Amino acid sequence: MRLRLSFDVPTRRDLRVFGGYCLAAAVYIAIGVTWIDFLFSFWVGLAYVVITAWAVPTIVRRLV
Amino acid sequence: MSWAAHDLEPYAIQKHVGLKLAFVPLLIGSYSPDMMTKWFVYGIHLGPWDLKASDPAQFHRGWPGFGFTHSFIYGVAVGLIIWKLFGSKLWGVSFIVGQAAHAITDTGDTVGTMLLFPWTFHFHLDAWAYAGQTGRMTDAAAYFSGLGSMWDAVWIVYGLYSWRVLTSAYFDNYIFRADAFWPWLNRAVPRGALLTFYRAAFFYGTSRWIAWTVWAHVIHHYPYDLSWGGPHWVPAAHP
Repeated sequence: MRLRLSFDVPTRRDLRVFGGYCLAAAVYIAIGVTWIDFLFSFWVGLAYVVITAWAVPTIVRRLV
Repeated sequence: MSWAAHDLEPYAIQKHVGLKLAFVPLLIGSYSPDMMTKWFVYGIHLGPWDLKASDPAQFHRGWPGFGFTHSFIYGVAVGLIIWKLFGSKLWGVSFIVGQAAHAITDTGDTVGTMLLFPWTFHFHLDAWAYAGQTGRMTDAAAYFSGLGSMWDAVWIVYGLYSWRVLTSAYFDNYIFRADAFWPWLNRAVPRGALLTFYRAAFFYGTSRWIAWTVWAHVIHHYPYDLSWGGPHWVPAAHP
């Protein structure tokens, strides 16, 4: 009997979504390191991620 | 205190509970012990007034003070109120689990928490220094130089390992279905935005952890001290 290891591998689409969040995170981190007050509030973080990871891509998809 | 663990723990818990808990009250529970007190621990300027606790550690974790917010009895009491107020046992129980996770995690520092309040004994592992009394910036620098930061890193890695809980399919099959709150919100907010809401705390906790680490060690060069109870360059508070 042969045993085969299987890994739970993300799909290309999962990776594309993850890449988008990583890009948004890189900008968030750059702003936060420059202006530290930006990091303090969860609500600012929530608004930021909703705008960058949902609103902007949605608007761009509609325009293109 | 922890700076990112409370954002990240709910996702690790979610991985193991599936439909048994609701994510929103789990997250609110995880944030709840510090919701009313953190601003007064660090202090704020309000016009001509400087408002700050005279003994931040005592105010935050002690009795007399608001230390009871880090006890099991507080979580159960608020959970029961939520259950009765909203008529949702699921919300009540989820809040209790989230709040308990916060209270247990904070036993890792040198002040610890009164888990079994009204017994005022502080359970503390002394793994990292509690430095809230030094102000927000020094506290951040100390936290991100000691084992507390490494504990946060464990949750980030575990969250990434549990990446399926962050996928769109998981949100649809578990998060959305487990809790009537999401369909209710979906009447006004598109599903894509709800998915982003769901992922927000993980995004916030992880991004903030990286940003503070860069700030403390690339911009300001605070020394790492990963010894037990460290960093020892900051005066740690004790119960």
